[in-house]
Amino acid sequence: MAADLILEKDFRRMSEVIISSSRADDVFVSLNDSDDTTLRFANNQVVQHVAVRRPKLTIRAAFGSKFGSASTNRLDNASLISALRQAEQIAYLAPDDPEYLSPLGPQSYQPMNSRIARTANATSMDLAKRTKPVVDQCVDKGLVGAGIMSRHVQARGVAASSGLFGFHESTESRFSLTATGEDSSGWVLNAHRDMDSIDLLGMTRSAVMKALASRNPRELAPGHYPVIFEPAAVAGIFSPFIRSLSAKRYHRGDSPFSGNLNSLVLDPRLTLSSNPDHPDLLGSPFASDGMATRNQTWVEKGVLKQLYYDRFTASKHNVSHNPRPSASVLAFQGETADSVDSLIAQADRAILVTNFWYIRFVDRTDITLTGMTRDGTFLVEDGRIVAGLKNFRFHDSPLRCFKQVDAATAPTHGITINGAKMLLPAVRLPDFHMSSVTKF
Amino acid sequence: MGTSHIPNRRDFIISAAGTTAAVCLGGCSLSSGENFMTTGHHKSGTAEDHRHWSAMASLALEKIKRGGCGYGDIRLMESRNQSLRAEDRRISGIRERFDSGYGIRALYKGAWGFAASSVFSQEEVERTAAKAVEVARASHLLMKSPVKLADEPIHVDKVVTHRRIDPFEVSLEDKAELLLRVSDVLHKRKGIIRTDGFLWMQRDVKFFASTEGTKLNFDLLAVGGSFGATAKGEDDFQSRNYIVPFYRTGYEHILQHDMVSHADRIAEEAIEKVHATQPAPGKYDLVLDPAHLALTIHESCGHPSELDRARGYEANYAGTSFLTPEKLGHFQYGSRHVNLIADNTRQGHMATTGYDDDGVAGQRWPIVERGIFRGYSTSREVASAIGDKRSRGSCRADSWASVPIVRIANVGLEPGNESLDSLIGEVKDGIYIEGRGSFSIDQKRYNFQFGGDAFWEIKNGKRGRMLKNVVYNGITPEFWNSCDGVGNRDTWREYGFITCGKGQPGQSGWMTHAASPARFRQINVIDPKA
Repeated sequence: MAADLILEKDFRRMSEVIISSSRADDVFVSLNDSDDTTLRFANNQVVQHVAVRRPKLTIRAAFGSKFGSASTNRLDNASLISALRQAEQIAYLAPDDPEYLSPLGPQSYQPMNSRIARTANATSMDLAKRTKPVVDQCVDKGLVGAGIMSRHVQARGVAASSGLFGFHESTESRFSLTATGEDSSGWVLNAHRDMDSIDLLGMTRSAVMKALASRNPRELAPGHYPVIFEPAAVAGIFSPFIRSLSAKRYHRGDSPFSGNLNSLVLDPRLTLSSNPDHPDLLGSPFASDGMATRNQTWVEKGVLKQLYYDRFTASKHNVSHNPRPSASVLAFQGETADSVDSLIAQADRAILVTNFWYIRFVDRTDITLTGMTRDGTFLVEDGRIVAGLKNFRFHDSPLRCFKQVDAATAPTHGITINGAKMLLPAVRLPDFHMSSVTKF
Repeated sequence: MGTSHIPNRRDFIISAAGTTAAVCLGGCSLSSGENFMTTGHHKSGTAEDHRHWSAMASLALEKIKRGGCGYGDIRLMESRNQSLRAEDRRISGIRERFDSGYGIRALYKGAWGFAASSVFSQEEVERTAAKAVEVARASHLLMKSPVKLADEPIHVDKVVTHRRIDPFEVSLEDKAELLLRVSDVLHKRKGIIRTDGFLWMQRDVKFFASTEGTKLNFDLLAVGGSFGATAKGEDDFQSRNYIVPFYRTGYEHILQHDMVSHADRIAEEAIEKVHATQPAPGKYDLVLDPAHLALTIHESCGHPSELDRARGYEANYAGTSFLTPEKLGHFQYGSRHVNLIADNTRQGHMATTGYDDDGVAGQRWPIVERGIFRGYSTSREVASAIGDKRSRGSCRADSWASVPIVRIANVGLEPGNESLDSLIGEVKDGIYIEGRGSFSIDQKRYNFQFGGDAFWEIKNGKRGRMLKNVVYNGITPEFWNSCDGVGNRDTWREYGFITCGKGQPGQSGWMTHAASPARFRQINVIDPKA
């Protein structure tokens, strides 16, 4: 069923009602309306299937540098006005905030074709029908399948008394499968604007193959090992790196990059960029404050080129405001391997990691992380997978382990369980610290 | 605070006419015919008139029955949340969130459907109910073993969180002033470079009705807060935090904790911590305080004892569990000192809501008794799957827009008989750990790693100087089997959580973990960077 989300003209009318009724010096309005259907399966059958329409409108009002926010999901005029009054009341009572900045003025946004009709129109029956062959493959191989099949439609809007206005509609479909055997498992995840761009059967085969190949896992002693990371594992290690690119922390002195701008921080063949308009990514034309996003490079040939600036820090340092990285692409410049299989074929000995789980900072000042491997960890010897391995806990930092990359593929989709979609290579690294082993 | 001129403030006062009519302990029973009170928060003219909720519920339940479903329920909810954040000597954000809507579950031939909407009208509630049935029919395509719900008596009741001071009636100025006073005290200490503060409160007004005839009204409240200070040393930064634990009660809870009176000590300890040394890696005896153990219990006992995880429901996301059903009744989870009890009837605890979102009454039951694994947190669906006669009543949704899932109960470590001095007194070479730090655990909940907020050396039975960067690693059952002493009733403390992530789409679970301090022998303290 097509979602009847709030349309641009409706949002324009709502924001005009709010802005024209406001007594505040500044008003900023943001909308997030969504219609989501998520089918969740486990034990080879549906365990949850939800269809949720959820709008949310947030108003930020300011008197001078005193501001307050109020949000509501009632969108009739009376409710909008009362939310506005509430934001004004909070602003009025709030102390001055020396870091407050008035909303941005009008912006020009890059056009993006982010709403794909067949994703928007998919019904719950469509999701069930797409899931069936996935589950059938698991059953066929004597495995237990668990995962999700979803479709989302979203409308986002920003408007302000300064004349700022933006509106963007998008779709997203997500598919993930964990195929589980007696003592083994395999995992896949992808998301795309267009649900037909997700290769359900190919991904299912991959998860099934991993679950079968990791049976009777061996236990390997903890230690430093050469590793092959699939793109999702690279995404897991890189997400904290990307989050650490904050200029505010850089200037405060507690950034892992302090003093390292324009220095080599990664292998000189790695380049990290943001590509919000990339058709295979899930970028947006504007950030939450309405700032236009643009394609930009953060790390070029291993050298840290720039940081992201919140508006206050940007104005303090007299540089332009720069939204935090989104729709990230990590590319390896140089000769690339065709596939993960060729990385395996070229390895004497390595641990192959499908995915990481529960990654946490141990030390933010040098991005030391800990976490677990999950759902497909293998021992590679003499160019082939020789056994599944019991999962490891690791302690390492992308600043250390990505100083040298032995080999890499071209970027392809990579998402960690909780993370944003990126395009990243699978890589082979000479040294990674697996610090302890778990029981499975 | 910086509000030196507030002319004509009256213009901005929003009418808050409603008064809290009925106040009773969590779970009290009132007559079934009673109209639910209007809470009168939000704004006149837009707050839902809750008297219509019952009629809307009837429409939805009728639609579900006509759709051929064996079971259905509806939760109508209105939530109000307010939070204040301070960063250094400024208030960095004050937010009010009003969120209302309803979620409808339909069970068609043993297959679930759920649909939710925020539009309160007769047509929309009927459309949403029809959608729930349509979704359930689609699910039926992929159902091999139909869901059966464990029996539960029909309940007609009203639950109101006990409170003396409505947190939404306390002025924003007073709340902001409190955080700014804390910041001022923290920043008085030289060496403190950054501080933060937080106050949080939420009210949930809810009506649950099922096709079985259960009708439940709720007026639930929760509050909490925290502050922290970061000190700069020669080549690192260290922070120290104070928690006003999330608790189901009124604003009096915030006042009782008197944040200002703890601020100077917290700042002093942040500074001492940044100048402290890191212990050499190795085996140490640990004495863990309740604020720290609350998280250890959450991760290593709470999650693995969720029956949906043990049955593979979260295999693709939050993970499964090493506590599989065949271990019930005999697995040696911990030592004989370890009694981990779930109690969703304990007043003030975050999962004490009278009834869960399956309409099952709150209960108290053992998870681990004298070290032996005894029980799970369950829902009506998963309880019946392992042959339990009744659900434990631990199935909750985080909003009207979310479907109820199995959630960790209020699982706590029961007091033992030692004083804190005797716990520490019998340690030759150890570490006392207070509060929460970085944590990570594998998806079956075996291999874990925990930091903390503050650490003190224990030498020859005495607590000594502070330490920093203490991280310990272990395997859950080995860890709990190394427990050889638990503090007495006087040392028992309660810590509420509001950010327990689980489910797809993701939901935030609320529960409380209480504990007395406990001693663990020969635990592996690691060098986190080695």
